[in-house]
Amino acid sequence: MADRSVVIIGLPESGKTTFLGALWHLIIERDIHTVLRFHNLRSGDAAHLNAIAARWREARIQERTTIGGNKLVSMNLLDASGMAVRVTFPDVAGESYRRMWEERACDPEVAEVLRAGSVSLFIHADTIRPPQWVVDETELSRKLGLPTPQGEEVPWHPRMAPTQVQVVGLLQLLRESPLDVGPRRLAIMLSAWDKVSEEGLEPHAYLEAKLPLLGQYLRQAADGWTWRVYGLSAQGGEYDSTKEGVPPSAEAEALRNLDQPSKRIRLVQGGTETHDLTGPLAWLME
Amino acid sequence: MADDVAIICANRQCRVAETGRCIEGLELSKCPHYGRGPDEGVTDQSDEPESTVGLQLPGADTLTLEQASRVLRARNARVIAIIGPKGSGKTSLIASLYDLFQEGSVEGAEYARSETLHAFELACHDARAASRRSEPDMERTPLGEVRFYHLDLAGGPAGSRLALLMGDRAGEEYRSAADDVANLPPFPEIARADTITVLVDGQRLLDAGARHNLRSEIIMMLQAFLDGGVLRASQRLVVVLTKFDAIKTSPACDRAENDFRQLLVQLERAFGSTFSEIKSCVSAASPKNAVVPRGTGVGEMLTYWVAPAAFEPAERPTLTKPTRAFGRLSAADASEARDG
Repeated sequence: MADRSVVIIGLPESGKTTFLGALWHLIIERDIHTVLRFHNLRSGDAAHLNAIAARWREARIQERTTIGGNKLVSMNLLDASGMAVRVTFPDVAGESYRRMWEERACDPEVAEVLRAGSVSLFIHADTIRPPQWVVDETELSRKLGLPTPQGEEVPWHPRMAPTQVQVVGLLQLLRESPLDVGPRRLAIMLSAWDKVSEEGLEPHAYLEAKLPLLGQYLRQAADGWTWRVYGLSAQGGEYDSTKEGVPPSAEAEALRNLDQPSKRIRLVQGGTETHDLTGPLAWLME
Repeated sequence: MADDVAIICANRQCRVAETGRCIEGLELSKCPHYGRGPDEGVTDQSDEPESTVGLQLPGADTLTLEQASRVLRARNARVIAIIGPKGSGKTSLIASLYDLFQEGSVEGAEYARSETLHAFELACHDARAASRRSEPDMERTPLGEVRFYHLDLAGGPAGSRLALLMGDRAGEEYRSAADDVANLPPFPEIARADTITVLVDGQRLLDAGARHNLRSEIIMMLQAFLDGGVLRASQRLVVVLTKFDAIKTSPACDRAENDFRQLLVQLERAFGSTFSEIKSCVSAASPKNAVVPRGTGVGEMLTYWVAPAAFEPAERPTLTKPTRAFGRLSAADASEARDG
């Protein structure tokens, strides 16, 4: 059996675990035609995958992956030609990636994982933090006749960097020692796509509009990424909070009422849309 | 040895003792590690497992001379020396160039890579809304050795790929050059610069008391670099009138613009044969009002910075040999440090 790894990276709450939950559901449910198909359960511990897939079916928010809870999960699959392939994904806490950008450090075991295979980068499409400037904000307040925003001055911290800078910083780190393993394939997953699709942009245009620095970095290819961009709605809508006392979400209820949970999943590339999350994985492993 | 006054930091990766800068970009008074020894209060364990420290990844602060040399050796590059007295808008200019790429290409050039993303972000901070300032301000360059901001560009005037290395040194160190030419420091960023960029502080030019001194300081500084053997004959000079937003809204606007033109005439007269060409532009890198757009003039300046390096002059006014890297100059620095 061929062994393949796909590195899933992204800042905290970018939808990495939700993706894995939806993917595992899709693989074992076998109700939708997928490029990669279920083979067997012989890859070992499926407990983590089963747990996150169950939570996904219930339409409940995934618990945040904690740094101590980094998991390496494997799926035994069959590719389009019927060849058996074991795909390994790290379910690494977003905090680990945050630490890489901010503290310029990572755990040796995470580094080991990051050196394996192609890369899938998750970006929460609806919480992209753009750069904002004092002079623009002051001018806007003036035009609206509002007082100039005041507050205690905040010292700089790397966490304040715009989303696109942090993401470019992460990708650059993967092409520098000690994490560099040469040019790789990169699938960019714009998660929570259902929340932004009403803007009417296809994923590539959305990336160019909202993350122009990332667009330039990829286009100019100084780091040699072969890349594709997808709009991903793995969740399908607003899920129930796991916090006590918070009422169930109406959207979650509607999702639970769908007879085929696999159909919550939407994956958009260019002008085409499917429910098949394995397409990008198959491309990453080609 | 004065070990009792040695600068220390609990963070083993921090080189504050050599660079004067906190590795985390904090003010020294605010850094929780500064002034403490490594493992203070903990028995030294030299065989400490790597996992407790974590694997160190490449930094993203400004580059040292040695790191900048590595970039110079690796690819097509332009070195930019930016000279201006304290407060003339140097950090602001560097920051606003980087910030323009946040929104798209600049004069056809696009962002390809940078090894100094933290440094750029820190430089931009006071003009960004996240600082919660009511008016943009800029971090001042601390005293110490030269450091470099790095930006790889591609497309348009930058061609297939071009590295920009922008020298950052406290303005005071350049300014004092004119006082003692015989003991001029090596200023490797000027000796290797493809373009020397002189900033003319628009705010000071508006000040009736300061305007004449400002022009004189700039001329004397360049004269000191020439006489001190720092300049090369092939270099390009770009003179930038900064804080154009302040000039535009001042009643003394015409006078300041006239003073700037006068300065350019003087520079042409004094240094026309020293530089391969002398260019000028105005900039409002981080305007405090919306009279002129943010980043005004910065794109034009970039086109001068990425222009082909004018190499191999017929005659050199200095003893220094041109080189594609800082290697030799670094060695000179090291030997001077030893001698000192």
